Amino acid sequence: MSEQTPETPRSEPAPAPANPNLQRQRASQLAAALRQELQKALIGQSAVIEDVLTALIAGGHVLVEGVPGLGKTLLIRALARCFGGEFSRIQFTPDLMPSDVTGHAVYDMQSEQFKLRKGPVFTNLLLADEINRAPAKTQAALLEVMQERQVTLEGRALPVPQPFLVMATQNPIEQEGTYPLPEAELDRFMLKLRIDYPEAAEEMTLVRQVTRSSRADMLDVTPLRTLLQAKDILALQKIASELPVDDQVLDYAVRLARATRTWPGLALGAGPRASISLVRGGRARALLRGGDFVLPDDVKSCALAVLRHRVRLSPELDIEGLSVDQVLQQLLDQVPAPRL
Amino acid sequence: MRLTDASVAIRPRTAWEALDLGTLMARRQCGVLMASWALITLPLLAVLTAVLWKYPLWALLIFWWLKPAYERLPLFILSRALFREMPTLRESLKAFPRLLRPQLFASLTWRRFSPSRSFDLPVLQLEGLSGSVRSQRLTVLGQRDSGAAAWLTFSGLVLEACLYFGLIALCYMLLPQQLMDDLGWQKLLQESGGEWLWLDHLRNWSYALVLMVWEPIYVACGFSLYLNRRTALEAWDIELAFRRLRQRLTGSAYALVLGLVLVFAMPAEHALAANSCPPPAGDFNPYTDREPDDKARLTNQALTSSQAKQAIKDLLAAAPFQNNQMVTRWRFGEEKPEEEPEEDDPDKVAEFFEKLFKLGEGFGAIEMISLIFKVVLWALLISLLALLIWRYREWLRAFASRLGLPQRAKREAPAMLFGLEITPESIPDDVAGTAERLWLENPREALGLLYRALLSRLLHEHRLPLKSAHTEGEVLRLVDRLQQSGLSQFSALLTGHWQNLAYGHRLPDATVRDQLCNGWRQQFSGQEPT
Repeated sequence: MSEQTPETPRSEPAPAPANPNLQRQRASQLAAALRQELQKALIGQSAVIEDVLTALIAGGHVLVEGVPGLGKTLLIRALARCFGGEFSRIQFTPDLMPSDVTGHAVYDMQSEQFKLRKGPVFTNLLLADEINRAPAKTQAALLEVMQERQVTLEGRALPVPQPFLVMATQNPIEQEGTYPLPEAELDRFMLKLRIDYPEAAEEMTLVRQVTRSSRADMLDVTPLRTLLQAKDILALQKIASELPVDDQVLDYAVRLARATRTWPGLALGAGPRASISLVRGGRARALLRGGDFVLPDDVKSCALAVLRHRVRLSPELDIEGLSVDQVLQQLLDQVPAPRL
Repeated sequence: MRLTDASVAIRPRTAWEALDLGTLMARRQCGVLMASWALITLPLLAVLTAVLWKYPLWALLIFWWLKPAYERLPLFILSRALFREMPTLRESLKAFPRLLRPQLFASLTWRRFSPSRSFDLPVLQLEGLSGSVRSQRLTVLGQRDSGAAAWLTFSGLVLEACLYFGLIALCYMLLPQQLMDDLGWQKLLQESGGEWLWLDHLRNWSYALVLMVWEPIYVACGFSLYLNRRTALEAWDIELAFRRLRQRLTGSAYALVLGLVLVFAMPAEHALAANSCPPPAGDFNPYTDREPDDKARLTNQALTSSQAKQAIKDLLAAAPFQNNQMVTRWRFGEEKPEEEPEEDDPDKVAEFFEKLFKLGEGFGAIEMISLIFKVVLWALLISLLALLIWRYREWLRAFASRLGLPQRAKREAPAMLFGLEITPESIPDDVAGTAERLWLENPREALGLLYRALLSRLLHEHRLPLKSAHTEGEVLRLVDRLQQSGLSQFSALLTGHWQNLAYGHRLPDATVRDQLCNGWRQQFSGQEPT
């Protein structure tokens, strides 16, 4: 077997790791612990937790969509709690201005000069709550920081701290007075997650826990342990990005993204960012799974979340009442998986 | 009845033209017709209204039922007016009781709903026929124009309804809004109250007004249809023409008779002499004195008859009488001259086509050509359909499955799955043995063979619905659903090693070989011909 992908040889001299396999195992254990901790806070949404962790490890942003009361904000708060870095939250409202997000220069009377006041965007975890309630210009304030990880204020490009993760939530119903996210903004989110109602048994557990809590109607996130710091996350991301990916799996990811462009049920296909996100997501999944390399299963399991906000349904199917997820599921059932 | 006195031009007409004539007749006499109609119907309705005040609908029904009785008066007036004996209003009213008498009961009972009522009435009233004579007469008359009479009755029904409802609507439109509201409430509150009966009676009266306008026209149209039919049957127009001829010639007849007498009186003596001598040659009567053409006459003269005949023939054959031209043209085949239509006469053209077809039938050329055209057109249609299906194949693939068409489930196992050959034929009989042998030189191929064989077994023996889109993990989940723990464990093990090799590029240990091959034998030993 001579065909080795370029990633496979673990020969980077820079960090000089003691044993990459050991390191990988530790990373997987850490991820598993984080998952367990999050599941304590958010009951019955293990798939969503998995996806959020995927985004965290892959270094992508997440857009969470769901009806009210399913714990979208709770999930993010719980994650922020488990993570020792900075966390800030912006409640998007129709009168929110771009400078409220990025920051602005204010005149200081004492020192008689302009001082830069950094906005809430300078943080590790940013929760953009109800992002579609703010107009497009405010939403666009996030474009630069999401892609370039920097904010340009008063002509100066200021980097945001690493790791940087935007988690936005939005409500699919109640479209009155909302501003749908533009395609460019949507494309910058690596995953779009759908939170659905929990199973009956899980809902029972949830109700039992919430009613036991001292704060009447919400789950307490204070008892969660702080498991990892900012540098741990960076390490996790680095380990994930070094996981080997076979050419066939890479090819599978690219084929999936390309299939959306010619698929008859889709009016608009996904761009190259989708293929990139698929591979990154596959790597993160492999790490979460505890594997040493990426499988087609890893790519396929995050394909729906990666693709669903990057495609647009054709009007015929839209009229018929089909959802994007159904069409994408059909696509995933048709694109051949790699097997050599 | 003197046809020459008729006030209308008597000639055969079409039924619709006759109806038109009837309208014209009714219009000419509209004053007397409508007045007389009003004078007999309105008092009757007044009586009915008074008697049946509580039952306005019954009053209307009875009034409507008696329509054939009133229709006799307009017919009387029209028949007189036709021969310019216009009766006055008083005369016609006086005549009405006499008109009512014959066959009134029949008219009001079993003939009430006859659709050709207006057409039959003249037979009864003007010809005075009854019983079988009448029905024979009606049969003869009804051979034509009875359809038009039925249509007349039907359109009369529609017209009456239109005018009646129109009149009512007009009345309602003229009512003030306050009164309307009041009316609605009153009607609602006093459904059976007697205060509003006058409104129903008002409606009855509006119907009587409508009839006053329409009925004379209806009777006149039926009468004109009857006249038209008799004109055709008894050739009145020809009779009229003869009478006019006689009238014109009566004056000159005396002179003619005088002349004839003179002519025949004078030659009385001449005649005796004429018998004895032959007629003179110049007095040639072409009807009596015709000689056979070939007989030579005038033989003693310079120009004999045969010579003269020849000269005439020559003259007739020459330029002004004959204009022969010789035209030379290329023709296609022998039959072509027949195909040329001489003129643009439509009959000739039709004849030409018939001939052409007959000609074609001779050697079946037309059938041949039509067959070729048929084949070409069908081929065009089919290829067009195929092209359309090919053009929209993606679309069809995506949407046709959603139409709920009964689709045959594809149970044929694919030969190639995941880029691997998995037909049972391509798998060696002794999988484990072959794998063991291969392992030494090419472990990758050996593991590949085992995995291929596993997929093949799953597909063909366990009937797992594997698709090429399934990843290894999904295949394992499908295997788990079979609820065979041994198979699940073995599959998981084999898949794990296979994934390690394929995606992780890690060679399995040598111990794995025995583990897998023994596992295979255990799992499939029953089916393994070792």
